[in-house]
Amino acid sequence: MAKIKSIKISGLRGVREPLTLDLNKKSVLIYGDNGTGKSSLTDSFEWFFYNKIEHLSNEEIGRKKGRDALRNIFIPATEDGFIELTFDDNKLDSKKYIDNLLETSSSNESDDFNKFIASSFSERLILRYRDLVQFVIAGKTDKLKELQNIIGFSEVQKIRDLLRRNGARVARNIKSSNYNNLKNIQQSTILENLGQNAYSDDQLFDGASKLIKPLKLSVEIKSRQDINTVLKKIESKEDSELLNQINFYTKIKESIAQIECNIENINNSYRTFYDSFNALKKDSEKVKSLQLLSLLQEGKSVLAKDVVQDNYCPLCLQEKSKVDILQELNLRIEELELLNKEKEKVDNNSKDLQSTVKPNINTIEGLLTEKLFKKEDYAKLKETVEEIKISLNNHLDESNKGLTDKLTDKEIIKLVKKEIEELTSKLVEVVKKLTESKEANLRFRVYTKLFQSAKAYVQYLKIDKEQSVLANQQATFELLYEDFIKRQEEALNVFLAIFSNDINDFYTIMNPNEKVENIKLVPLKKNDELVGITIEYSFYNETHTPPTAYLSESHINCLGLSFFLASVKAFNKKNKFFVLDDVISSFDRAHRYRFAQLLTTKFSDYQVILLTHEKEFFELVSSEVKSKGWILNNFKWTKENGTGIERGITDIKDRIKKK
Amino acid sequence: MDDQIKSGKDVIDEFFSEILNVEGTDENTVNKLIELYSDSKFTDINIQNALEELKLEAIKPKKIKDDGEN
Repeated sequence: MAKIKSIKISGLRGVREPLTLDLNKKSVLIYGDNGTGKSSLTDSFEWFFYNKIEHLSNEEIGRKKGRDALRNIFIPATEDGFIELTFDDNKLDSKKYIDNLLETSSSNESDDFNKFIASSFSERLILRYRDLVQFVIAGKTDKLKELQNIIGFSEVQKIRDLLRRNGARVARNIKSSNYNNLKNIQQSTILENLGQNAYSDDQLFDGASKLIKPLKLSVEIKSRQDINTVLKKIESKEDSELLNQINFYTKIKESIAQIECNIENINNSYRTFYDSFNALKKDSEKVKSLQLLSLLQEGKSVLAKDVVQDNYCPLCLQEKSKVDILQELNLRIEELELLNKEKEKVDNNSKDLQSTVKPNINTIEGLLTEKLFKKEDYAKLKETVEEIKISLNNHLDESNKGLTDKLTDKEIIKLVKKEIEELTSKLVEVVKKLTESKEANLRFRVYTKLFQSAKAYVQYLKIDKEQSVLANQQATFELLYEDFIKRQEEALNVFLAIFSNDINDFYTIMNPNEKVENIKLVPLKKNDELVGITIEYSFYNETHTPPTAYLSESHINCLGLSFFLASVKAFNKKNKFFVLDDVISSFDRAHRYRFAQLLTTKFSDYQVILLTHEKEFFELVSSEVKSKGWILNNFKWTKENGTGIERGITDIKDRIKKK
Repeated sequence: MDDQIKSGKDVIDEFFSEILNVEGTDENTVNKLIELYSDSKFTDINIQNALEELKLEAIKPKKIKDDGEN
């Protein structure tokens, strides 16, 4: 794992002249008053590894991932700003530049280096004071999101969602296709023509043999090829127009019967959508407050990015602790997100309605392309079919309405089954009449009946196959989803248990002899779905959650710090160093010292870059960390050079010793 | 600690390497999903298209020499 040999920064943030830190893989404690440029070091680091500076990347101060504010404004246009890092593995050494057009480049473009940077992207390398409590005070959903991001579980969540969504989509397709009814329609055509059902080849051949018997053809039907042979044999060109008419009416009859079978589904879907839509709409306060969600989320993002430096509310400008504002925002956002789930339910009902209605519209559109509809004789029938299409389209229009619109009453819009049933019956009659119009012509009747039943049988098999394929797909997705969530939960529980142990360990080192024990990250589930994570702990042997209700700011910070350090141990695979920028501001003297001890004992094999603006802390822990081989440095800032290193007392002592 | 914790990638890779062992699943569908994941194409729209393709392939009329299709 990589450790840093040296850092050189020039022309970035507050650093004007080159600033060099020779670390030789050692940890360093850096002191600098506010404004001496410690954060310039952290920002440059963040840019080197993550190609952005999160707290500078908001609309006001930096649109290009913070690059606008990265380059020092006093360096000449001909000069590039840069950060150069050398590592114990020199293949990773690199200098990253930013020119006056804010274009960036890197001196190392090797595969090794690119892979290193790509892997570092998911590692925890920097902790600033402002980020310290983010996880602790975050809502349960955000905690889950944050943890999933760190451990790469956001990808797991995506795969899980894909499996669930596709399984549900296939199930919706099966439901909206109404396969059993489609099969019944084909079977009724077979029954009308063959006088019996045909669920298998044998049943079809048996019925067909009986049908052609009066023709005395001396042909035995044992295959579908035999049926074709018979059809060719008894086909008459003179009757083709009548046959076209029969086919036309049969097709319309089957399609309308198909829609007839779906009417109940369509009406039910509309009712469900209508009821959920109006239930949400009824509480206008709810709908109004939903509009606040994005405002609150934006406010949270502004505070988290430290756009507002001091403790006041950026909206009403009243004095208030930022941690308090963030906690309140998290609570309100969580409440509104619950409400948003109700809205999502309405949206899903709208999608369900659409997926139920659309296949029927497609069926009608297919019908309307029939050639015979162009003839005047069929104008009235065409009009009737078009009316059904309009009625179906009305449902689609309703499904697209927003919460400010009014839906058409479910009783007014509903499709009336009786009207469609009557149309189907009429069409059955027409087909029957046409088929029997040549009563005397036995060959024609047999031909028509054999042709229609054979066609319906093929269609029946196709629908049956499609139904079985989709049923298999649905079952597959359900089984895979079940298997996948087991794996996800097992892995997450192992992670949470081990991770909680470390957090507890680090927290207890910083807070010995206190009654806060057994700190745990606990998964929260709703309807078997993982919905969040909370922090649980024992206080005087009673379990409490969340921590913010009982712990002081200093203890919450300790928890945040413990979380970061546990993440470093768990997930940093490429880098054996991390930067802590002013993270102890709220700690009292005892906590500060124990924090330094935690770093020197539990993280002795790591390279720590610890920045502080507090002289007292620097002096308190200097001897502790120096005795463990750390380097000490003072930052200063001058108008001419910007940030630089001051040779402090500790440094002078070193030089005397060397002499 | 590192050895016991599975990263998200570990969980996903393990799932896809053992996916064929999940009983009761449709082999064609599972193979298609493995293929999409291996090609880094495991997205909603690609899965949807693949399922549609599998369905169309299954219902495509097959020409039988001795037993012709109507």
